[in-house]
Amino acid sequence: MSVKIYTTPSCVYCRMAKEFFKKNNVEFQELNVVQDDKARDEMVKKSRQLAVPVIDVNGEIFVGFDQRGLKKALGIA
Amino acid sequence: MYELIIIGGGPAGVAAGIYTARKKIKSLIITESFGGQSFLSAGIENWIGTKSVSGFDFAKMLEDHLRAQEGIDIIDDDRVASMEKSGEKFLLTTKSGKNFETKYILMATGSERKKLNVPGEKELEGRGVSYCSICDAPLFKDKEVAVVGSGNAGLEAVIDLFPYATKIYLLERSEMLKGDPVTQGKIISNKKVEILKMAEVVSIEGKDFVSGIRYKDLKGGNEKVVPIGGIFVEIGAVPSSELVKGLVEMTPYGEVIVDHKTQQTSDAGIWAAGDITDVLYKQNNISAGDAVKAILNIDDKLRKK
Repeated sequence: MSVKIYTTPSCVYCRMAKEFFKKNNVEFQELNVVQDDKARDEMVKKSRQLAVPVIDVNGEIFVGFDQRGLKKALGIA
Repeated sequence: MYELIIIGGGPAGVAAGIYTARKKIKSLIITESFGGQSFLSAGIENWIGTKSVSGFDFAKMLEDHLRAQEGIDIIDDDRVASMEKSGEKFLLTTKSGKNFETKYILMATGSERKKLNVPGEKELEGRGVSYCSICDAPLFKDKEVAVVGSGNAGLEAVIDLFPYATKIYLLERSEMLKGDPVTQGKIISNKKVEILKMAEVVSIEGKDFVSGIRYKDLKGGNEKVVPIGGIFVEIGAVPSSELVKGLVEMTPYGEVIVDHKTQQTSDAGIWAAGDITDVLYKQNNISAGDAVKAILNIDDKLRKK
């Protein structure tokens, strides 16, 4: 299971998504797209979007914090 | 079958949930998230009893208080897709396909961001069109951007963009900026900002991402295109009342008309509280109070029968 989340520091939905991962014991890698231009380009390429958070669960891309979609992708009941 | 289903998780929905649990009404609350529109606020300084709290922590406070109650069912990852009246009860279906029956309903769905409704807006949402400056401003580093709307939210979006954008056009339809004079002062004195008054957005241009904004100069009557890489729309809110369209009476703006003594709508089985209603002042504290009124009234109705 590989979970990546592309964030900006001020984004509240990013914070919400991270809390959700922690609550459900999901390990994740956070990439701050303000500091990391490479991550920013990667995010835009993956999602074709310019909005955060972008979440990559094993290649399945979520834009925004879609709790129900994430639960499904992560197999959380 | 429930006695009451509360729809919404903002201050109105949560206040209703707490009171309904304490009254031991058999109830369910359905929401996709907690905190309401204030969730995106950097700081709330007028919630009574709390000097200052971020929107994120505010949402958490509400959620924790609700979850501390016994005897209320909570769905926090779904939304009601349709509502139907069937004799003395209501049938609700959620987006994920769950069905519920209830005697009464409390609408606490608040309001949602107003869209421009111009060509290009929907197609380019998330591709340069943003409704969350605090989230997305850093993505527009070294870009020229536009903010539409000069109320407090629009002015704050401009300030959120100061550290990142190279130039910020602020478009306002009327002749005057609308937000607080103090915030206006901060913006006018910044060299990055160019204010375009009497400017009505016609369309958003761009193929994969936003490349420009076309607006009509209401004074001269001609259209102009400004090349930009991002646009932040901050033109206010509309009540989220689609669900009860045709079921209850509404104002021309889509606000649900309530009896302000009881919060009951024109349908004897539906109550409403908070920003979805025709309440004159849309405030967190008022929404919570109005929801409490609704629950006390619903409890009266349930006990009489």
